[in-house]
Amino acid sequence: MSDDSEIITPPTNLQSKVQKGGPGAVDLDAIERAEQVIANLADDYINWAKEDLVKLEDAYKKLKEGKGDQKELLQGVFNVAHDMKGQGGSFGFELMTAVGDKLCRLVEKLDKVGPKEIEKIRIYVDAMQVIISRSLKGDGGSEGKQLLMGLEVMVQKS
Amino acid sequence: MENVGKRGKECDMADYNLSRLNFLIVDDNKHMRALVKSILHALGVKSILEAGDGADAFKELRHFPADLIICDWSMSPLDGLDFVRMVRTGTDSPNPFVPIIMLTGHTEMHRVMEARDSGVHEFLAKPISAKGIYSRIRAIIESPRPFIRAGLYFGPDRRRKENPNYNGPERRKTNKGEVEGSVNSISDKLKEPSADAKAADDGGGGDGGETPELSQDEINALLNG
Repeated sequence: MSDDSEIITPPTNLQSKVQKGGPGAVDLDAIERAEQVIANLADDYINWAKEDLVKLEDAYKKLKEGKGDQKELLQGVFNVAHDMKGQGGSFGFELMTAVGDKLCRLVEKLDKVGPKEIEKIRIYVDAMQVIISRSLKGDGGSEGKQLLMGLEVMVQKS
Repeated sequence: MENVGKRGKECDMADYNLSRLNFLIVDDNKHMRALVKSILHALGVKSILEAGDGADAFKELRHFPADLIICDWSMSPLDGLDFVRMVRTGTDSPNPFVPIIMLTGHTEMHRVMEARDSGVHEFLAKPISAKGIYSRIRAIIESPRPFIRAGLYFGPDRRRKENPNYNGPERRKTNKGEVEGSVNSISDKLKEPSADAKAADDGGGGDGGETPELSQDEINALLNG
């Protein structure tokens, strides 16, 4: 902290605009309703995730064919995977978040790809396809656990 | 809290009426915007404006009197951090004091520190939940913080906890006697902008290492000293 730091009181704060209690105040029911809204959006989420998977497949295909700027394509894969990671758990698909995170971690370190990396990306994208096609919500239960364990094994091997 | 009892700690979540607050949601992903908007509506918020990136949001702020901004980190061309810095320190910023909650999947420690050092009030890790969003809003309502101008930093006070045992000198000039001689401190890791944050790769890509990600509880503990 510099010697010249200055403390300023903001002109307004939220307390002047919020009332505590009374009708319309947030209560446990309101929180419950809001969580329910999220649960109701899960079906829509499947369709959005399918759109994201099309983008992922497209970037994967170009990477595999060696077309275009590899760094840019990898950034594209990262962006979609990062979105899917953030959305998954928010819509009740925690397993998608876990796999999306693994894909992010893989591609964020890469500037270019060779056959090994292509294979690893393929494995993660396949897993994401399975999660959506089988609608594996939450941690995916025993199927989810198997999928994650299988992923680890395959990625280690490749 | 009047009805603390059977449901114990959970009831701590219940109380404020948010219907008079104006929210600005900034996210380039329309699905996440829709999600946050739906959650806010369910919590009784009436006035919500959306923006698809930082530049758009900055424009909206000129005519929308936002009381609170919920902002995603990863956006293009102007990302969440750029946007926060523009709001805080831009010469033409319409609302430099507005509270900002940063919403992100980047939860490594250096990222949290980087967001804090850009001037955000709160940090909310994805995946998001209604409870998570409300608890951050509530924190802002209940703990209004003074703003600090120090070197290149302008934003809410990053030293949140008072340390009654602090014996060192007060290094801040007070503004109009607001502080009245009280001294604040915080653990060493939060005292100065982190070196990690400065060194962090801001390219939206990676940090190049296996930095562990933090849970929301760990983030709160870190930010609260």
